Amino acid sequence: MSIEKELREELRQVADSMQCPPELYGRVRQSYHQYANDKRGRSPMKKRVLAGIAAIAILIPSAVFASSYLADDLFGSVSTIEQHGGTQEDYQEIEGMLQAAKGKLNEDEFKEYQVLIKQLIQLKLKITDEKGVKHEEKLTQEEQQRFEQLASKLAPYFEKINKNANP
Amino acid sequence: MNDNELLSWLEKAKLGDESAFQLVYQATHQDVYRTVAFLVYNKQDIEDIVNEVYMSMWRTFHTYDPNRPFRFWLHGITVRLVQDWKRKTWRRIRLFERNRRMTCEHFDWTDKAVQQFEMQHELFSLVRQLLYKLRVVVILRYFHDYALEEIADILQIPVGTVKSRHHLAMKELRKRIEMTGGDAYVH
Repeated sequence: MSIEKELREELRQVADSMQCPPELYGRVRQSYHQYANDKRGRSPMKKRVLAGIAAIAILIPSAVFASSYLADDLFGSVSTIEQHGGTQEDYQEIEGMLQAAKGKLNEDEFKEYQVLIKQLIQLKLKITDEKGVKHEEKLTQEEQQRFEQLASKLAPYFEKINKNANP
Repeated sequence: MNDNELLSWLEKAKLGDESAFQLVYQATHQDVYRTVAFLVYNKQDIEDIVNEVYMSMWRTFHTYDPNRPFRFWLHGITVRLVQDWKRKTWRRIRLFERNRRMTCEHFDWTDKAVQQFEMQHELFSLVRQLLYKLRVVVILRYFHDYALEEIADILQIPVGTVKSRHHLAMKELRKRIEMTGGDAYVH
């Protein structure tokens, strides 16, 4: 018998005698479950990532359009308020307030409101230093009067906005 | 085993179908186990590698080339993992410890059935003593009946290298047979 033939024969016989231990099935099955669970766990993650990407895709263009902030009309830009101790959040808050006003007041009222509040803010900025501390003594007599005038003129508008906001 | 059937089970198993996983395991586990056991002798290591082969099956299913037989792909994975395992043990410098174990408790860890066969089957015991590089060629050639070109593909080495390893292995086997006094295989 040739060595090749003998090799085939012997390997076949030996292989037949080698039985995969039955307990190995449990182990492979466990690994398989782990794999299947990982896979299931990963898919919502993928969804979340996709949702995140979609959100960013929506946010970027809206951020570009949102540069027409109402608050920008008053301050020029966010850096103005930052120079007076304000933060980005303060700016957003003011913007929110203005948006609320725009929604609650009619067109003429809003225009008037915008003019008044702009003047008020100019004065407020003047008395506020870079740390956000107010120095009312900085105002002249005339300016102080103007400040009170503006406040009283704006009062009905504020009332109207707040009343509608919390009926 | 029917390749098409197996592939559809494998695909389902990959998606988490447990009964499909069972079918795949039933159809392949003996073959995987035997292939690994011919190449690696430590019982614990054999089981680790078999487990890895199944993990790898789900993970690398996308690399399967449908133009080739399923078992070719399976043996490719199996041999690759055996080789990875050998590299890893080398890296962990377990070699020293292994050598010590091999000399101290020679063959203690082998399958009882295999030991018995070693006594009865002289040629097989000689195959077990071959260097891994030569042994893997012998196993793929004479146990799985692959052509030398296919073996080159599985091992990812040139055909020339496979040929020379095959030649060396056979030469070694003949030499050892002569040394042990057998004269049945002269050519």
